[in-house]
Amino acid sequence: MAEFIEGIVKVWNGYGSSFLNGALNTLIVSLVGTIAGCIIGFGVGVVQTIPTDKKDPLWKRVILTVVNLILKGYVELFRGTPMIVQSVFIYYGVRMVFDYQMDVWPAALFIVSINTGAYMAETVRGGILSIDPGQTEGAKAIGMNHFQTMMNVIIPQAFRNIIPQIGNNFIINIKDTSVLSVISFADLFFTHKSAVGALYLYFESATITMAIYLVMTVTASALLRLLEKKMDGDDNYDLATTDTLAYTSGLLSYHPKEKTLEDFK
Amino acid sequence: MSENIIEIQHLEKNFGSHKVLSDIDFSVKKGDVTTIIGVSGSGKSTLLRCINVLETPSGGKILFHGNDIDEKGFSVTDYRAKVGMVFQSFNLFSNMTVLQNCMVGQVKVLGKKKAEAEEKAKYFLEKVGMLPYINAKPKQLSGGQKQRVAIARALAMEPEVLLFDEPTSALDPQMVGEVLAVMRQLAAEGLTMIVVTHEMAFARDVSNHVVFMKDGVIWEEGTPEDIFANPKKEETKDFLSRFIN
Ligand SMILES: Nc1ncnc2c1ncn2[C@@H]1O[C@H](COP(=O)(O)OP(=O)(O)OP(=O)(O)O)[C@@H](O)[C@H]1O
Ligand SMILES: [Mg+2]
Repeated sequence: MAEFIEGIVKVWNGYGSSFLNGALNTLIVSLVGTIAGCIIGFGVGVVQTIPTDKKDPLWKRVILTVVNLILKGYVELFRGTPMIVQSVFIYYGVRMVFDYQMDVWPAALFIVSINTGAYMAETVRGGILSIDPGQTEGAKAIGMNHFQTMMNVIIPQAFRNIIPQIGNNFIINIKDTSVLSVISFADLFFTHKSAVGALYLYFESATITMAIYLVMTVTASALLRLLEKKMDGDDNYDLATTDTLAYTSGLLSYHPKEKTLEDFK
Repeated sequence: MSENIIEIQHLEKNFGSHKVLSDIDFSVKKGDVTTIIGVSGSGKSTLLRCINVLETPSGGKILFHGNDIDEKGFSVTDYRAKVGMVFQSFNLFSNMTVLQNCMVGQVKVLGKKKAEAEEKAKYFLEKVGMLPYINAKPKQLSGGQKQRVAIARALAMEPEVLLFDEPTSALDPQMVGEVLAVMRQLAAEGLTMIVVTHEMAFARDVSNHVVFMKDGVIWEEGTPEDIFANPKKEETKDFLSRFIN
């Protein structure tokens, strides 16, 4: 046991700041990837739920069908293959095909975003479809177009409903970005590999790595729960009046005005 | 006063092979309060939804100030902003407060400034007796209160015509009165309305034009006296006798 603690101290003394730096990189790539993935997911989800009408011109329906096919292909491709394979495929593929060496950071951010986007697209689509169609009709009835309805009414509600899944994706990303070490991205797991490469203290280094991952994921889920609570707002509201009659429901405090609709025309 | 705001000609609507509306003709002038009555399934909601283009008619024409709303270049969203709709199930935006519900259309669709929209929203919320509740979310309101907010939301767009689809059918009896009171007042102020309702007293006392529908056609129409005091068709008498007791 003493030996174990000694080992931990040794690893930490040698690589403490690298671990923290690796953890920071893990957090950044996971957070940016999750946010970018959400944006991609909302984009894809919104396009996939554009309603088509028999009255729409043919070109519009054709374009929409083609775009939807491409998006479906994207979702299937990135959900159906491991991120570790996607990483090498994209990183080395770009070099082969375009004769261009991607930097590690943009490559890492791109891979995580595009991968998260594929998962989020399905989540968002489900979130949008779960909103009561009456909300859409209410928006249409006051003259909103599809885009305005989405931005003002549907997406805010869908977003609230899928926060748990977004959080879940974020936590999965914190863990799964460890595969980015195959393209030498200096995340937490990469630091662990460098530390054991030099010190051969596998168990000690793994313990530190595990602990840091756990702290990050537990903190993330606590913060997300807080955000959820905040978004739900107060359970109470203030009546904007000093008129006590207003506290009773109904028209008791309601006196018809002398002004008529015509005054406002 | 004589110009028709809305004129419906030979309107038809099928859902697949199911004919729901056939050969509907009627028109609405400024200040008219038209009530549509009839048994469940007679196509009343479908007619209203066609007028607001929530359903696409299968045939016939709807003219708005003489313009065919199906014409190329006719903006359906602009049209909807001028023809408001109040639903049986309220359809308030649950992510917004009462005040925001009444402002969002003015700001996003009509392009009004926030301050102006807020003032107007408050004016109409006061009209329906909901001004004290501007900060509440829809889920915190009773059905009658929700419906009054929904009416204020529609009014805030200052529509030329307001459509009501059974606005009191989802309400407890004690809340029906508060919504009907608002609607009576709007009628008295000269708002043009088309109201689908099962409230015969409202149809008789408030409207100036009653349309009785059965099986997707207009069976009989006329003034409230025509329909309620001297119905000509057996089916109309039948329908009304069920309501009078
Ligand atoms: N989206 C739809 N698809 C298929 N059939 C429909 C659809 N909407 C309505 N119908 C049918 O059209 C007919 C008329 O319905 P509608 O809702 O207009 O009746 P209503 O007079 O409003 O009845 P209620 O008093 O119950 O509201 C019904 O037979 C109904 O089943
Ligand atoms: Mg109906």
